[in-house]
Amino acid sequence: MKDELHIKFQGVSKSFTNQGGDYFQACSELSFEVNKGEIVAIVGETGCGKSTSFNMLLGLQKPDIGEVRVLGYDPFIRDDELKGKVGIIFQNDRLLPWCNAVENVALGLKILNVSLEKRLNIASKWLKRVGLEGFETSHPHELSGGMRQRISIARAFAIEPKILYADEAFTALDELTASRIRKDLLGLIKETEITTIFITHSVSEAVEIAERILVFSRPGRVILEINCKAEKAKNNPFNKIEGLVRDGLSLAREDMLRAGTAEDVTAEDLKLKYEV
Amino acid sequence: MARNSFRSHLSLLAEKTFKKFKKKRPLIVGLLVLAIIWEISTYFLPPIITPPLKEIALAIMAIFSDLDQFKHLLATGIRVFVALIVSFLMGALLGTLMGTFDKVREYAKPLLHFIQGVPALSWVIFAVIWFANVEFRIGFILLIVTMPAFALYIESAVRGVSLDLIHLSQAFQANRLQQFRMIIIPSIIPEVISSWSVNLGAGVRVAMVAELIGSTLGVGFQLLNSQAVFDMAGAIAWTLSLVMLLSIFQEMISFAESRLLSWRPKGEHS
Repeated sequence: MKDELHIKFQGVSKSFTNQGGDYFQACSELSFEVNKGEIVAIVGETGCGKSTSFNMLLGLQKPDIGEVRVLGYDPFIRDDELKGKVGIIFQNDRLLPWCNAVENVALGLKILNVSLEKRLNIASKWLKRVGLEGFETSHPHELSGGMRQRISIARAFAIEPKILYADEAFTALDELTASRIRKDLLGLIKETEITTIFITHSVSEAVEIAERILVFSRPGRVILEINCKAEKAKNNPFNKIEGLVRDGLSLAREDMLRAGTAEDVTAEDLKLKYEV
Repeated sequence: MARNSFRSHLSLLAEKTFKKFKKKRPLIVGLLVLAIIWEISTYFLPPIITPPLKEIALAIMAIFSDLDQFKHLLATGIRVFVALIVSFLMGALLGTLMGTFDKVREYAKPLLHFIQGVPALSWVIFAVIWFANVEFRIGFILLIVTMPAFALYIESAVRGVSLDLIHLSQAFQANRLQQFRMIIIPSIIPEVISSWSVNLGAGVRVAMVAELIGSTLGVGFQLLNSQAVFDMAGAIAWTLSLVMLLSIFQEMISFAESRLLSWRPKGEHS
């Protein structure tokens, strides 16, 4: 029996033109699928369309060509079908500064019109689960970066989503904190059996978390797919799997050099030039 | 036991009062120095220029104790308050549209700047020529002078709302109304409070000027009366009463600010 499909990118292309008329192809015929309960990591160099794919998944950007489907629906059409089905963890915590910890966790529930008492109850439970019991009434400015990211994790899980997106969720944290929170997050993902897409720059992070890794080339497309679950089942050590991913990244680099898209642009340059 | 609790309550109250006094000390000291200089000058200048403080104090007391006089202060207060509420609602609507839609901003912003460039006194003259009804005239002047500032403050605040937070709400599939309620309104509150502080002073000043012409009610009218009979103590008393009224409004804004922005780290309050 075929697994239930949760996410589908089919021949997706997306380009941007800035005010100066410069053209930038972010994704080119990008296709991949994610099944129910899978944990998939997307790795690739800066500017290879990872964040554009993420924005298309969230319905913040519309593909020029091709189709994006989340649980069978077009995320760009906001007709409440996906409301409460997707949890998100961003690179920066994006907490509302005027809300305390418990109110921040309850944001998604508030959007779902869950009653005040119920949502505060659920949010308090999730705060406890991420180890922040006692900090319910603290505001974001009173908390450390790690604690804030834990709140954003609790916020993502509080709505009991079917899918979780995490966009470089630990980049802003120091390695020790990142490693601790990563472990806790992986525990939650496994426990809830939630379909997860994880965008990351870190090869070791991808190998630690993912069951499948998609290596992106520029313009955004999948150049290699690594089945980590199978590799881990073969008892291959992590560093061997990491080697496979690094080989994939080298392959992507060669592909970019061939295609002439390997110019070293920084994320900041791209943001300034092509932000829409 | 009850006596102890009463004592601790009393000492807490005394501590709070002392803290409040400490905060206001520079103002109180400044006013005291001014009063002393004024009182000294009464010995050298005629009462028409510097009337004694006692005479001014009696005139102020008369304003607050005599309903026939107090109604003038009340009228100005109500005019300013109602006009600012209407002006704020209109400005908030226009400012939000300008902050959201580029086309609206493109056309409305230059017009608002143009309106702001016209002196308040010119609006008073125009209003006298255009409208016969005094209340409508004063309302119009207050509206035309204060509405652009509200609109521009709110437009700038709406445009400054964090795109990250907007995207966050969109990612959670919030609809437009939820975005407005949960993200935009809380984000723009600091600017809304600033716009009220700025417009309150402007509103009171403009209301007084508007009341000078054709009105038979309000502080402006009373000032005109004082000038007609060379009653300097009266003019000062009415002016000080208006300053007190403005202070009450400012206190209300400060109270709203302390409640609505209590989440901010200490030191960020304006």
